Amino acid sequence: MSVETHAHSNPHHEHPDVVGSRNRLGVILILVADIAMALSVLFVYFYLRQQNVNNMWLPAATSDNPAVVALSPKGTWYVTGLAALGLLTHFYGLKGVRAKNQTQLVLGGGLAALFSIGALIYQFIQISGAPFTTTSGAYASCYFLIAGLNTLHLVLTVFIAIGNWNRSRLGIYKADHWHVDIVNVWWVWMTVSSLLGAFALSFS
Amino acid sequence: MTTVMDRPAASAGHTASRKPLIERLNIVTALVLGAVSSVVVWQLALKLLPQDADTAFFFNREDKIMLLALIAWFVGFMTGIGALIGPFRWLMGKDLNHDENMFLAGKEQGVKRYFRYTTDHKVVGIQYLVITIIIFLVGGILAMLIRTNLGHAQGGWIEPQTYNAIVGWHGIIMIVATIIMVTGPFGNFIMPIMIGARDMAFPRLNALSFWLIVAAVPPVFISFFTGGITTGWSAYNPLASQSALGMNGYIAFICIFAISTMVAGANITTTVVKMRAKGMTWNRTPIFIYGVVASVALALPAFPVFFLSQIMSGLDRAFATSFYNVAGGGSGWLYENLFWIMGHPEVYVILIPSVAALMEMAPVFTRRPLFSFNLAIMGIAGISGLSVLVWAHHMYISGWAPLLNAPFMLTTELISIPTGMLFLVLIGTLWRGRLWMTMPLMSIFALLWNFMIGGITGIYLSDVPADAFLHGSMYVTAHFHYTLMGAGLTGALASLVYWFPKMTGRMFDKTLSWVSFWLVQIGFNVAFMGMFMVGLAGQPRRVESYAEIFNKGNLVTTIGAYTIMAGMLVLLHGVISSWRSGVKAPMNPWQAKTLEWTVANPVPLENFETLPVITSDPYGYGKAQS
Repeated sequence: MSVETHAHSNPHHEHPDVVGSRNRLGVILILVADIAMALSVLFVYFYLRQQNVNNMWLPAATSDNPAVVALSPKGTWYVTGLAALGLLTHFYGLKGVRAKNQTQLVLGGGLAALFSIGALIYQFIQISGAPFTTTSGAYASCYFLIAGLNTLHLVLTVFIAIGNWNRSRLGIYKADHWHVDIVNVWWVWMTVSSLLGAFALSFS
Repeated sequence: MTTVMDRPAASAGHTASRKPLIERLNIVTALVLGAVSSVVVWQLALKLLPQDADTAFFFNREDKIMLLALIAWFVGFMTGIGALIGPFRWLMGKDLNHDENMFLAGKEQGVKRYFRYTTDHKVVGIQYLVITIIIFLVGGILAMLIRTNLGHAQGGWIEPQTYNAIVGWHGIIMIVATIIMVTGPFGNFIMPIMIGARDMAFPRLNALSFWLIVAAVPPVFISFFTGGITTGWSAYNPLASQSALGMNGYIAFICIFAISTMVAGANITTTVVKMRAKGMTWNRTPIFIYGVVASVALALPAFPVFFLSQIMSGLDRAFATSFYNVAGGGSGWLYENLFWIMGHPEVYVILIPSVAALMEMAPVFTRRPLFSFNLAIMGIAGISGLSVLVWAHHMYISGWAPLLNAPFMLTTELISIPTGMLFLVLIGTLWRGRLWMTMPLMSIFALLWNFMIGGITGIYLSDVPADAFLHGSMYVTAHFHYTLMGAGLTGALASLVYWFPKMTGRMFDKTLSWVSFWLVQIGFNVAFMGMFMVGLAGQPRRVESYAEIFNKGNLVTTIGAYTIMAGMLVLLHGVISSWRSGVKAPMNPWQAKTLEWTVANPVPLENFETLPVITSDPYGYGKAQS
């Protein structure tokens, strides 16, 4: 391999767009792993639902236990709705930073953080109020798995959204906005993931 | 230790003798915090968790306690090593400054940087090399216990459940060791220099991927003392859900390792895609880079599935969910599908970088260009693509979807075509080359021999009628050892000798490399040919005793195994003695043309004083004569 060496113009301070592009790809690749897991969760749900082994997807009533009834999917859609509102407000903030409007960025980021906290609290309420336990058959197991994955996503989202809002507030994103762009990628995937979960749970 | 950081004047006043947190964290704080966290959580769980109801399956409460303690260990260890500093500083809006980043890179810290959350890719590469050697050592000792038991007439020297635990432990330890043996040490140390980068794309994620593996080790060790992994490395459910508490260690180990693999996959791929030197177009990118990227790109979507399968296994154990429990509506086939969707690509995660490393060395030691660079890339891409479409050939006998047996047989047999392309590239490069007889070059011949046997025996196993007879026999064990060890490990050992001068600044002792090579290769073929014999004669795998007719074959295998052990000990001696007092290596001892050989020994912190610009391909040794 022939090599020519010459002084790099600025070896230790790359252009923000270069760093941003690299970080964006890294996040997308990590999301590939998360997407693979989320799709596997859906596969588990529909596989066990379709198999209905021993008629235990939703067990019928016995002398000891009442029948297990599927949860109304409404609650899951509400969580997704809150996540979608978070995405929209984050995007509003992103538009602000693109237009060099720091107030809009802080407002959008703050609202997005609040929506993510709201979605997380609502998700907790949903899980704790489920009318079945982990031992109530395959549907219940899958419900807790999907809700658990969504909870994990929301916990991460709360962390990211608060960090994003705090950093916006401190004026860190005045010079360049690739961080906010990348956080937007996460918001999109988190909302889609929540939507997929709600979609699956609509087919009990 | 000399402090290299600028501290704010205010803090310097009242904490003159106290180092900042980032400088105080190391492996000791990690171990202490991990151990204290797990003991505290264990004790709290013992006190607070209610007793199981009469209807509880197996060990629900104990499983909860053990899993909680292992999670606490993990969180404590990662906090103690400093993995959370970056994220929390980000949250607070106080990003690490240049001096702190230089400290994390290990600047002017000497040997201490190997015991910290150091981000320099060369440090991470050496850390991976050492941990890989340690894991192989443990896995090798377990292999010798297995072979000593089976070398005894009709076996039966070790108590059956202990034997099962040893087999399971050996299996999973060796799988992990072989997954990281090339992409870990050489993917981290060599790859960024080879593409002309100053470091990996995400140095902190690089350190994270390594320390996750360290964090994963104690759970699997603890598993041995809590009933062991008695299911074999595949941990099939519902058997695993009903096994002893040791399975929790396996679950924690796999989950942490899977996260490490995902992080490393994203990091390595980004580095290669975004940080190649100016002028390094895709057809000027060394073939080793393709191998590493194909490996991690395969692992990226495959390991999350494995991760999920183990999460569900843990939930079945600790919360009595019904993913795999048939009585509750679960399915054992579900586990088998999830496991093998990861399990078969994982074979190529191991093999591809090893073969690519040997393809990288072939032009160097034949002094001629790589025979058909494009064919090599097509081979790697073909194997990667097909490897995700073959998983159910592991399940012919399970009874899952018999109608799919024929399509899976077809896809499995198709994979021979891209594999054949890689053979063709290696043979074409060797053909009429001016061979420089070194241990790495001989390893290419060894790989061709071993992988041919591993591949051809694999075709029989992919064939449904033949598999009906061979499934679950020692034949299968011999087959996958021929691929993973005969091909994969051979490539890794050659990589060690080849890149040793750049990694350590010393030449690997030539005599020891040859002695080790021949002992390992002869021992390997004796051991696993013997295993093919008993497998074809009908000896099942994973049994601690056997019928008298298998005595001779097992004795042959055990003799071969001891010969391998002797060869590996010679190699270990070679690593230690060469590293300590070997001949100092020149900058480019092999007169190779890739970028890693253009930087000085030891490699500077940021690799290149000025970034290189590439103007030709890496294999310009002369015109290929095909």
